Amino acid sequence: MFEQLFQTIFKADFLFAILRITAPILFASLGAVVAEKAGVVNIGLEGTMMITALFGFLFAYWTQSWLIGVLGAVLVGCLIGLMMGFFALKLKTDIILAGIAVNMLGAGGTIFLLNMFTGLRGNTGNLVTPNILIPTVKIPLIDKIPVLGEVISGHAVLTYLAFLFVFFLWLFLYKTPLGLNIRAVGENPDAASSVGVSVLKIKYIAIGLSGALAGFGGAFMSMYYSQGWNSGFVAGRGFIALAAQAMGRGEPVGSMFSSLLFGLAQALRTKVSGLQGVSSYLVSLIPYVTTLLGLVLYSVSIKRKARKHAVKAVKP
Amino acid sequence: MHDRRMRLFNVARGAAAIAIALLVAMIFIFLSSKTPFTALRYLLIGPLLSFHDGAVIFNAQYLYQVLAAMIPIIFTGLAVTVMFSSNQFNLAGEGCVLVGGFVGGILGVYLNINSGWHWVVSILAATVVCGLIMLIPALLKVWLGASEMVTSLMLNFILLYLVLHYLNFHFADRTKGATMTKEFKPSAIIPSLVPGNSKLTVGFIIAIAATVLVSFFLYRTRWGYTIRMIGINESFSLYSGMNVGGTIVLAQVIGGMLSGMGGSIEVLGRYQTYLWRDLPGYGWVGITIAILAKNNPSYVPLAAFFIAYLNKGCLLMSTYCDVPVEMIDIIQAAIFLFFAAEQFLSGYRQKLVVKTTREDLERLDASRLAQGGNKHV
Repeated sequence: MFEQLFQTIFKADFLFAILRITAPILFASLGAVVAEKAGVVNIGLEGTMMITALFGFLFAYWTQSWLIGVLGAVLVGCLIGLMMGFFALKLKTDIILAGIAVNMLGAGGTIFLLNMFTGLRGNTGNLVTPNILIPTVKIPLIDKIPVLGEVISGHAVLTYLAFLFVFFLWLFLYKTPLGLNIRAVGENPDAASSVGVSVLKIKYIAIGLSGALAGFGGAFMSMYYSQGWNSGFVAGRGFIALAAQAMGRGEPVGSMFSSLLFGLAQALRTKVSGLQGVSSYLVSLIPYVTTLLGLVLYSVSIKRKARKHAVKAVKP
Repeated sequence: MHDRRMRLFNVARGAAAIAIALLVAMIFIFLSSKTPFTALRYLLIGPLLSFHDGAVIFNAQYLYQVLAAMIPIIFTGLAVTVMFSSNQFNLAGEGCVLVGGFVGGILGVYLNINSGWHWVVSILAATVVCGLIMLIPALLKVWLGASEMVTSLMLNFILLYLVLHYLNFHFADRTKGATMTKEFKPSAIIPSLVPGNSKLTVGFIIAIAATVLVSFFLYRTRWGYTIRMIGINESFSLYSGMNVGGTIVLAQVIGGMLSGMGGSIEVLGRYQTYLWRDLPGYGWVGITIAILAKNNPSYVPLAAFFIAYLNKGCLLMSTYCDVPVEMIDIIQAAIFLFFAAEQFLSGYRQKLVVKTTREDLERLDASRLAQGGNKHV
């Protein structure tokens, strides 16, 4: 059995699958990173992905253009983020509760909306046409390289975008004035406000951005990954993104690695469940247990570091 | 004077939040239905009154069904109330309901006690198991500082797939078409309170008893006081010598126990076999109820009645009209957002405070003048 497993794992298509599976989680976890940097917990990523996946698909279907679909999904995601911001910052609803409300809309409200717009129940079925799907790109030169080409070339546009965004987000957070303000607001809102930064405005921007990034993830799910929308198909990716953010110490690059870890676990799950005599349900546990363990290990390391600091402070 | 006015304001604000939620529902009904007025009638008064050829009849069975639907969500509502009171955003109630139902169901099939104790023992076992499960996020939080929110969300999925594994590979009855266990023994089924098929069982009485117990626990015991104090100010609790870690664990274990009890009572009271193959959703509804009850256990049954009523209304609406049953999620989300909004109508509250204070001062002045003193300002 293990021999069989190893044979399937050490192949280019397995690595390819990891990148493909990681992309939507990466988008969402970058969304979690931006929000968290400004001191906002966005637990509504799951629902945001469900809603944006639906609207992205519908926009693309109505216009028969995947690009408009993606842009629509990003816009809707941004609006959801701003709505959460309005309730949390203006009306002082607890941000976690506002997020749970968005998740409720994502779970049931989307089924309602799909039915309202198209008369379909639960999934988009035969509405899928090739125009709607996000196109894949062959990178010239690189796709000629034997193994690397098979792994890196031929992904959807958004997959590349997800990994580019890791760099852009780092650049944004650490090399621009707005990014500095976001970090300042997250670390010490009073200090930021005392030097004239509008804490409220910065938080709105951060949560709007967070929603928009989740929108990319949603569009990726319905317009490439699953090739259509169906109820419950995000399956906790928004929550896993939160865990990836926590595991990645709230940094873009760290979150990318923890998202990749989840992508690996998920890809492993699809491979293992194809083998004989393996419970598909136990295999489904892999990504979630991995995430939980990762979180535990991360917490242990943080705790140990804190203790070391404390010891240093006592004995200089 | 002041207190009564503020209390009145709070009630009015809650009513306004619910009214907005229903307004949002109405907009969506008008957008999606061809017969919006019939749909609205089913949503708002359908759960109590039924219509036959123009005559309006009170339907007792429907009322029993609404009361029966309250049972699991009272438990999850109480569970969330206890956990949120200590400021622990533990969201694994969902998974605990599932596991509670599964453990209760399995014991209902395989335990051999031919007396009235069978279902009681099954429920208690499920309660204990779920209390133990909640130790995972609770201890990770206290020992390592891992966010209970994230770990509990992961735990939900882990519990779901574990239950599915054991259901499919160990306990499934292969003679049936769908995946379910063998039938419960008759002694495991919770007795019904009323005639008919409404599923209003003894579980309802247990739920009300649990409400009384949790209220007493939170407001009349030392542990309950510590839980609420940690929720209000954790640093204060720590520096005044309270056992913060132990209490945080206790609150979450109690939350798990209540969720597990609710799940097992629902399964043994409503069904003949165990057949849940997905997270049942009662955990999330419990959060709505805790918000509606303002984290006060005594209001939980009232909030549960409201949600059960709306749920039944949505069900009737989707059965007899063309509005999908998922309407309930949109209504719940709207309630969530507005009801929990501290600053909702805050401008009006400000005016009220100013007015009350001014009146108080005038009365003070009047009494001073009467005694021959000076005016206040």
